Amino acid sequence: MKVIAGVDIGNSTTETALVRLNEEAGCNFIASSIVQTTGIKGTVENIPGIITALKDVTKKTGISVKDIDLILLNEATPVIGDVAMETITETIITESTMIGHNPSTPGGEGLGTGKIIDITDLDSCKDEKVICLIPKEVDFETAAGMINKALEKGVDVQGAVVQKDDGVLISNRIAKNMPIVDEVSEIHKIPKGMPAAVEVAQQGKTIKTLSNPYGIAIVFGLSSEETKMIVPIARALIGNRSAVVIKTPKGDIKERKIPAGSLTISGEKNSLTVDIQEGSAKIMETAEKVWPIADVTGESGTNVGGMLERVRLLMSEVTSQEISSIKIQDILAIDTMLPQKVRGALAGEFSMENGVALAAMVKTSRLPMEQIARKLKDELGIEVHIQGVEANMAVLGALTTPGSDIPIAIIDMGGGSTDAALMNKERKITSIHLAGAGDMVTMLINSELGLDDIKLAEDIKRYPLAKVETLYSIRLEDGSVKFFDRPLEPELFARVVLLKEDVMVPLPTDHSMEKIRNVRRRAKREVFVTNVLRALSKISPTNNIRHIPFVVMVGGSALDFEIPDMISDSLARYGIVCGRANIRGKEGPRNAVATGLVLSYISGR
Amino acid sequence: MRLSEELIREIAAQVIQSLEQSNKPAADISAMELIEKGEAQKGTNTDEVVIGVSVGFGTHQTKTIIDIPHSKVLREMFAGIEEEGLKSRVVKIKHSADLGVIGNTAAKLSGSGIGIGIQSRGTTLIHQKDLVPLNNLELFPQSPLLDLETYRAIGRNAAKYAKGENPSPVPVRNDQMARPKYQAKAAVLHLKETQHIERGAKPVELEVRFK
Repeated sequence: MKVIAGVDIGNSTTETALVRLNEEAGCNFIASSIVQTTGIKGTVENIPGIITALKDVTKKTGISVKDIDLILLNEATPVIGDVAMETITETIITESTMIGHNPSTPGGEGLGTGKIIDITDLDSCKDEKVICLIPKEVDFETAAGMINKALEKGVDVQGAVVQKDDGVLISNRIAKNMPIVDEVSEIHKIPKGMPAAVEVAQQGKTIKTLSNPYGIAIVFGLSSEETKMIVPIARALIGNRSAVVIKTPKGDIKERKIPAGSLTISGEKNSLTVDIQEGSAKIMETAEKVWPIADVTGESGTNVGGMLERVRLLMSEVTSQEISSIKIQDILAIDTMLPQKVRGALAGEFSMENGVALAAMVKTSRLPMEQIARKLKDELGIEVHIQGVEANMAVLGALTTPGSDIPIAIIDMGGGSTDAALMNKERKITSIHLAGAGDMVTMLINSELGLDDIKLAEDIKRYPLAKVETLYSIRLEDGSVKFFDRPLEPELFARVVLLKEDVMVPLPTDHSMEKIRNVRRRAKREVFVTNVLRALSKISPTNNIRHIPFVVMVGGSALDFEIPDMISDSLARYGIVCGRANIRGKEGPRNAVATGLVLSYISGR
Repeated sequence: MRLSEELIREIAAQVIQSLEQSNKPAADISAMELIEKGEAQKGTNTDEVVIGVSVGFGTHQTKTIIDIPHSKVLREMFAGIEEEGLKSRVVKIKHSADLGVIGNTAAKLSGSGIGIGIQSRGTTLIHQKDLVPLNNLELFPQSPLLDLETYRAIGRNAAKYAKGENPSPVPVRNDQMARPKYQAKAAVLHLKETQHIERGAKPVELEVRFK
């Protein structure tokens, strides 16, 4: 009788499967375990993790690590992914021409136009159209009194711009309905005596006139040339509930395109260059044209150049290969919107700028698996074999899913890369590794929600949301309500929370549940659905997705609460049976490679 | 320096003296009239926030520990609530000077279930009807650090809770020196407050008139 352990070193977890091999009774899986991978996959730093995993699995069966006769390692796919993100537009206000921020409670509604004056100058005004500035020294009641007095005198006060959060307060105290924009922190920078327009939309609606270039043109009587100039202003105001636009003689707003650089994608025969600014669709199209990719380089001295250099540097450190011999084998580009502070803004407003997120994947000649095997053998005194290539092992393991059969394709969605492998009727396996997986989703969530906290973004990716409506009930993402017998913690009241295993974690952001959910689902769909379709069409013998009958999903991301459904749903259109693996009928999508290692050893004997 | 009993007596005497002095012109600072309107009823409108004031608030004492007139404190909290589009109502809690009880009683009377509790010296909290008195949504324990801006923000946040929004808590300042500096004064002020407690008295509806 022999005890064999299959050990799979993954990007984030190390998994084992323990088998008791009996000459008469055949093999018998007795336990499995899963622990965090230590160090970067494929380096000797993995050994502490492997030993913990082995201790863990033997403890479950009441034997010790010493009782193991043979350890089987996977030939880890030498794939490392990295992600980066760049903004490609930036809005800069060169002179005070626009206040486009969204105070939560502006006052009044409608559109007002007039000359900008300070509220203290209202007395000296005659019957003209004015918009008054109310600095924070002026109390809301005083301000309302002054405006009322001016209105009685016949001054046509058309609107107001307020420094403090007083919009509704003033609006409630004046005789006329007028748009009032508040919380404009840099009010003293607004030039006086200039024509301006203030617009506040009804609650739940967005402004119509100032977000429309022709609307602004009518308000200020602009020529067609001038109208062209104000397009960036109108664009920056879209989606706001309130806005102020001031016509200054020279001032304008620039939408500057940042030189994000260009990518040169080299194939086996030709190479093409694409500008990052052209967006993700164009980048991916270019990558398809030159497929298979031999290498990708970024324009030096630009953001994208720096990013690709970092990937190379990391890889060369891991594999101790020359940096020049590291080749990028795949990229995935995704368009994204990033909230960026507008430079020169008067109210600290943010503008959603375009950006491109890039994932890159590097394949090296070979990761030093022999080194790990030798070191492990020295440390434990147990024989160690490198049993086989990861993808092949994963297919063997996946085949233990009840109801599956060859030809079969597996999709392994991990942290750094999305891998796929196909086993055809002749049991021949083809596999592919693509850039972009879980880490990229985390990055997209992090930046689109402006969190600046990777751990939080990771949690948002993993757990469903709920909104605490009362201390006894929460509303879940799907709209249903869950009640509690005991009151919840007061910290949770009115918050959007993450439903972790048995605790609720309040989110420190003021985004609504719907917004967070949309960002999260869009990120997952953009990364995983795109990559699964890419991967399957590349491993299909005819390059046609429809010729793959069975697909099983394995790996950590297959445990996600919504990714498998998104993928099943999108593959159903191609008539593919797609589902989560259930290794050996009981492990779920985990342990595929570890199981495959043992099975491959047994069948090879 | 050793703190002899004599010294403590002297300090206490000075504190009381200065309090009495500062109380004298208080009548004209307090540009506000509080009119009792009978027993407070539970509100039915969900668009209200109830402010519960302690028994001495605005009458026996007229300003906070750092001499902000109570009229201004109330006005800022009203403004914060109004800016968010909600209404405010004021009740006086006579049976206890405990801030948790004041805030929780106010919350229980509030149609939205959100209440603000405030003591004469200025200590404030935001409460919710389903919580136990010793719990709260937001607590502002260091009264010497609460200025009018903070009171406005407290009103605003209470209104946001009432609307079911997700406000970020009002930043609470912390000053290690506030405690030693104001502890004696706070104790005296609290003592003055508790003298007026009426056991078993029901909360009273207040009409606030600013002059």
